[in-house]
Amino acid sequence: MTENKMNGTRRAFFVRGGAVLGAGVATAAAAGVLLPDAAPAVPDRLPQLQRELTSHQDRESIRQLHRAFTAAIENQTYEAAVELFEPHADLNLSGLSVQGQPAIRRLLITQYRQQQARVLHSAYRQGPLQQPDLIAIAADGAHATATFHCDVELSTPLPADSTLAQMARLQGQVAERHWEAGRFEARYVKTDGQWKMTALRFTSSPPSRPQLLP
Amino acid sequence: MVTRTYRSLQMHRIPYTDLTEAQVTQALRPAASGPSSKSAFSDVFAGKHLKIVTTDGPRLDYNFRNSHELELSENGGKALKAGYGALDSRGLILLSHMIPGSQRGYEVVIDPRTRLVTVFEVSFSGYAAAETAAAVEAKRAPQFKNGHRNREAQRKIWFGYVDDGSAAPAARHTYTNRLEGKGMHWRQDNDIELLEFYVSILYSNFIELTRFGGEMTICAPTDYIMVNDHQFIYSRIEAEFSGTLTVQIIDLFEMSQKGVRLGLNEKDELEYYMYSGNGETTGQIATFEVFGNNAETRGPRRLYRPLETFEVMTDDEVKDQVLNHAHAFGDGHGSGAAGMGGYKGELITKFAGKSLTARMDNGGPVIQYEFTDAKQLKWRYEGNSNWRDAWYEMYEPDEDLYFFAHLLDAEFPRSCAMVALDMKNGLSTIVKGTTGTSFRNNETHPTYYFGVFQMEGAPTPPQYLRHGMTDEMVGEAYTWNYSPGNPGLTSMHLYATPSTYSWIIFQPDGSGGLQWSSPGWYSKLRDGVYIMAWVEEACNGTLGVILFNRKIMHDAGFGYHVGRQGGLSLSVIGARARHAGRFEVKKHLGLI
Repeated sequence: MTENKMNGTRRAFFVRGGAVLGAGVATAAAAGVLLPDAAPAVPDRLPQLQRELTSHQDRESIRQLHRAFTAAIENQTYEAAVELFEPHADLNLSGLSVQGQPAIRRLLITQYRQQQARVLHSAYRQGPLQQPDLIAIAADGAHATATFHCDVELSTPLPADSTLAQMARLQGQVAERHWEAGRFEARYVKTDGQWKMTALRFTSSPPSRPQLLP
Repeated sequence: MVTRTYRSLQMHRIPYTDLTEAQVTQALRPAASGPSSKSAFSDVFAGKHLKIVTTDGPRLDYNFRNSHELELSENGGKALKAGYGALDSRGLILLSHMIPGSQRGYEVVIDPRTRLVTVFEVSFSGYAAAETAAAVEAKRAPQFKNGHRNREAQRKIWFGYVDDGSAAPAARHTYTNRLEGKGMHWRQDNDIELLEFYVSILYSNFIELTRFGGEMTICAPTDYIMVNDHQFIYSRIEAEFSGTLTVQIIDLFEMSQKGVRLGLNEKDELEYYMYSGNGETTGQIATFEVFGNNAETRGPRRLYRPLETFEVMTDDEVKDQVLNHAHAFGDGHGSGAAGMGGYKGELITKFAGKSLTARMDNGGPVIQYEFTDAKQLKWRYEGNSNWRDAWYEMYEPDEDLYFFAHLLDAEFPRSCAMVALDMKNGLSTIVKGTTGTSFRNNETHPTYYFGVFQMEGAPTPPQYLRHGMTDEMVGEAYTWNYSPGNPGLTSMHLYATPSTYSWIIFQPDGSGGLQWSSPGWYSKLRDGVYIMAWVEEACNGTLGVILFNRKIMHDAGFGYHVGRQGGLSLSVIGARARHAGRFEVKKHLGLI
């Protein structure tokens, strides 16, 4: 992935997400300053502030975890991607579904790297009309779910094992590439202070229909 | 036409020695005194001082004592003495020297008018390190099947300028696609004559007519650098062969070349000489980049190493595959749609229930057929009572011209028959594909047979007229799109001689990329209709046979391959063609 692409797609995507979160935190802080008499005393607010801080840190960790996954797929550092999952995690990338870290490893390191999968995720980008991301931390603070909307570049590997196909693959070529809008839906668990994915699914959105004139 | 004095062994069959570093050092030792040259060296630098600065590369401080001795300080280091040679290409200077006591040297192109410089930093015994690093990056095992290739020249290219104390020029020489599509015939001052085809921006294709034969072209990773609109720098490394480096200046106004060759030949002897040559353009074929794409920047150097990746099988392995794992057309379920048959034609079924005899001349096979249905037939050699069943597929690449194929007897080596039937005149051609060559068991080879066929309703075959071999395709280049999509599975064929062809894989931007060559054979069936065969020797061993109809720019054909994966397979080929152009090379090959 080129630096330009990084700036134009995934990096911008997550910078935007961070900016939204930052604005929310700032608004809450400002409200506290404007209502000094009605607000609880600082010692009383500490647990709540602590929960908010932890929640903020968890959201950011999950965002970074997701960013690490998409970067690993784009950079084809599949070994790094595998390590982001729990041992019994589920992964479903546009219909290619596997269960458990060994199967995830086979999918990414064998089928993806050797272009054996029928369709590959090769890049991600933020669309202009993307819906906002959703991250929900469970009350126990150890589980979370998230939805990340983005476009995926789907690549269809060159079929056949002819010399021609081998040489084309050496040049990084695929049979066909196209972009589809969709979303990641993920579940997470926090173990020993570290978030990992227990499930990740990418589903393409159905193509939008043109509006009919009345 | 040159007199054939070269060895009959083609370059891809020469067992180049896997030399040790010490052997390479020893072989390179005479290079310290500089290259030889039939033409006089230039004395343009004699007595002068030259300081070269490169972007991200070495800083070279030269003192030229005379026309053949220099002193060089690299990056401000201690000055060392070396012999050198320089040739002047109408003001553009090619300088060549090695660094005594090392396996390193420089080939430098200097333009005194613009002060721009291109530096080739050349070394030997570097394949292992480069391959190991590439393997780490690609997360694969390094390839050392054919040794450590210490003999293979490695090069780093640096763009820079002559520092004369004034402000540095802003421009630099650049990579280019401006030579792409061009063919040249060169005659050098050392009596070497060769054809070069620049049909990729990463590779080139060449035939040394006077040394390694006028039969089969060879491909090598190549760099193309633009000096100005008529002067270019071309360099190649014969990577899978001797590993020899060529760097030359090409002047398209004067049609001249000034070059240097540095490497170890097939006898492991030093070949280090400079040369001058005169040439002529043999043609300019189409290129397929969008307008405005000048390939000034390019991705990483890419090398195709088929000798490393070829899966050599033992006798027993091949025997097991051809006897126990043979499949024709997916055993009746079809083939090729996902590979090289994405544009296969309509399956011809109208021979079901019919019988015929294909009778080849001069002791060739005489085969009787009964077509059981659309996919199965019975066949036997005439005079043999035993009918055999076989899967077949039949296509009609030209009107009333049919082409079908099937496996022959389950024996080792194993053959297939690819049969053309011309319903307009009763002529028939059989290309018999057989596993094994004298070099590798899991290569294949074709044998052409020309003759006639007899069938109820077919014309009475002629007595004398036959299909036959042709050189009509020599010099032609066609693109072949095997499957929908852009670029999909697409290549370009260059039919450079009557006995070879090469294929170029397009890069995503439409420029020519990796390229390789193999032996090829061409026969003519009708005007504009040919059967062409190739064997991917020392590559993956596949025999491809296509019946090409230039009128509809389409083919129908078959692939015959044996490997550990997939066993012995006979499958369909079907692709759509575009004419890319033609090189006029026949006169250089003695064909006219």
